[in-house]
Amino acid sequence: MSTTDTTPSTPAWRLVAENEVRTVLRRKSFLITTAISVLVIVVGIVAAGYFADRPQDRTVAVVDDPAAQVVESAEQVGQATNDRLTIEVLRVDDTAAAERAVTDGDADAALLSTDPGFEIVGDDGVPSELAGALTAAASTTALQSNAAEAGVDLADLEQGTEVPERLLDANEDDGLGTATGFVFIIVFFLIAISSGMMIAGAVAQEKESRVVEILAATVPIRDLLWGKIAGHTVIAVGQVVLYLAAGALGLAVSGIDAGLERVGGAIAWYVVFFVLGFMALASLWAVAGALASRQQDLQSTTAPAQALLFIPYFAFFFGNSTVQEVVSMSPIVSAMVMPARMAQEAVPLWQTAVAIAGTVVAMVLIIRVAARVYERTLLRTGDKISYREALTMSAD
Amino acid sequence: MITVNHLSRVYGETTVVDDVSFSVRPGRTTGFVGANGAGKTTTMRMIMGVLAPSAGEVLWNDAPITAQDRRAFGYMPEERGLYPRSPIGEQLRYFARLHGMSAARATERVDELLEHFSLADRADDILDALSLGNQQRVQIAASLVHEPSALILDEPFSGLDPVAVDTMVDLLAREAADLPLLFSSHQLDLVERLCDDLIVLSAGRVVASGSVEELRSRGADRYRVEFASSDAAWLRDVRGLDVLDVDGTTALVDLEGLDATELTRLVVERAPVVEVARARPPLSEIFREVTR
Repeated sequence: MSTTDTTPSTPAWRLVAENEVRTVLRRKSFLITTAISVLVIVVGIVAAGYFADRPQDRTVAVVDDPAAQVVESAEQVGQATNDRLTIEVLRVDDTAAAERAVTDGDADAALLSTDPGFEIVGDDGVPSELAGALTAAASTTALQSNAAEAGVDLADLEQGTEVPERLLDANEDDGLGTATGFVFIIVFFLIAISSGMMIAGAVAQEKESRVVEILAATVPIRDLLWGKIAGHTVIAVGQVVLYLAAGALGLAVSGIDAGLERVGGAIAWYVVFFVLGFMALASLWAVAGALASRQQDLQSTTAPAQALLFIPYFAFFFGNSTVQEVVSMSPIVSAMVMPARMAQEAVPLWQTAVAIAGTVVAMVLIIRVAARVYERTLLRTGDKISYREALTMSAD
Repeated sequence: MITVNHLSRVYGETTVVDDVSFSVRPGRTTGFVGANGAGKTTTMRMIMGVLAPSAGEVLWNDAPITAQDRRAFGYMPEERGLYPRSPIGEQLRYFARLHGMSAARATERVDELLEHFSLADRADDILDALSLGNQQRVQIAASLVHEPSALILDEPFSGLDPVAVDTMVDLLAREAADLPLLFSSHQLDLVERLCDDLIVLSAGRVVASGSVEELRSRGADRYRVEFASSDAAWLRDVRGLDVLDVDGTTALVDLEGLDATELTRLVVERAPVVEVARARPPLSEIFREVTR
């Protein structure tokens, strides 16, 4: 009557979603928590990389040439397994000077010729990688000279002593897959719980402050639910992407070759599963909020949604592989466990398909039921409503 | 025009609203009065679609009302509600947009309303930081922000001081002069001052409705008689009159059989008269009468 806006107005669910995002982004606690998480991820990875990657420069004091030669070959021996290791030779005049160099810290150890071999002298200990390399080099040198004295060819003597390894399952996990799966589950769990509580809290607050009556008189209640789900899914996925980016940044800065290309596929699937699983869970959290009349009621009304998050959590960490396999294909909970499995091992395609299909079907069903329950309970205040009551409530 | 047709609402065994029919016409401020529990809020919630009627229907311009029609209405629920922790400017813009306004127009309109309420410098404050009176103003702004096509206000004046009431009345006169406006109130003096039409509800039923003038003249044929100096008590002995009150030289009488001309002749013959005037009963009396 008074306004005839000819331009089609923005759909109500989008306005609701935008309002949710705006409200969450204004919350200081949310911003601080997210910033701290990003910082912990970047700093954690960079620090781990720094300590793992630090060059190990060692100095060994020697008095004579034979010892100096042993130290040089010790560097080659050591570098075969540890390319960050360098060993420098420090020439000193005598044993006393060598010992002094060790005590003063000018050298990490001293290699002294004894009859018939060598001894390693350290202060209060010898760095293990140095001791290992020196011992191996010294014993080889001794072995060579002994063999020469006895007139034996060392190469003949060593024949057949090397035992190579042949792996039947080349897919065998080296720790990276397990670690990735672990991170997947933890991140899903933390984000889903914190976002879930935000959804339930936001709905309960609208009921508690009674603003919901104005909202319900303005737009269909279904749009309010969809807007909540959409807004919080955007925030949660944004957090996942932000954390993944922080992880990638950390790896790039520290120069660690984490073999990301091996788990890249699992990461892509993770985001897909996250969106599907989160949307289904989000509607449950919204219902939990609608059943509450005040914030205090949330503890009990959110229990089912929390349980749905704890099941995969425990299944992954405490279940055997059969349990993991079953859970990874079950609707909704698969969203957490399947990508974690995928990071660890090759998962048959049909199992992934079952997990996705089940989750999509469950998501559609849950959102439908949730919308009905939401419509019936949102405007009812005064007391907490039980799930049983909500499901049998007549349309009003 | 909002038309309510045979609207009923039943909770279990209790009928809260019982076959209620009335219209709210454009440009007519319509008061909705009745005791607590008479069914005013329930009726308003059914008009706004937040509660489904057990029977009956609501029409907007003679056609069954749609969600789209209601989206253009302004509504102030009995239990006030806004976002306590959001800046007021932002939430008013949000409401305007939910009602279908464009972003640019919403911003303009919010600035205009806040300016009018002298809250322009508080636009970025959260609602909880405002005094109760100002919170009430924001609540009213929320129902007006989208330039509504009709207004349904449930007890809009409760909790307002007289100055705030005047501000609000001015605002409604400016913003909603041409709109169908239905408001409920306990304050009959306010209703009397503001309303063109009146609907009186009692125990879920409409017991009186019509224009305020009509309703008041529907009351008894009442006159005030004032003599120059003589006592008015003798009127008690006149047939065809019901004397309600005598105070020295003045009396308040209801005509019962006698007509106004006969009354005038009668009193003028008896003693010097200052005034014989029609006395309209106050709304409160009509209210008591119809809800008895």
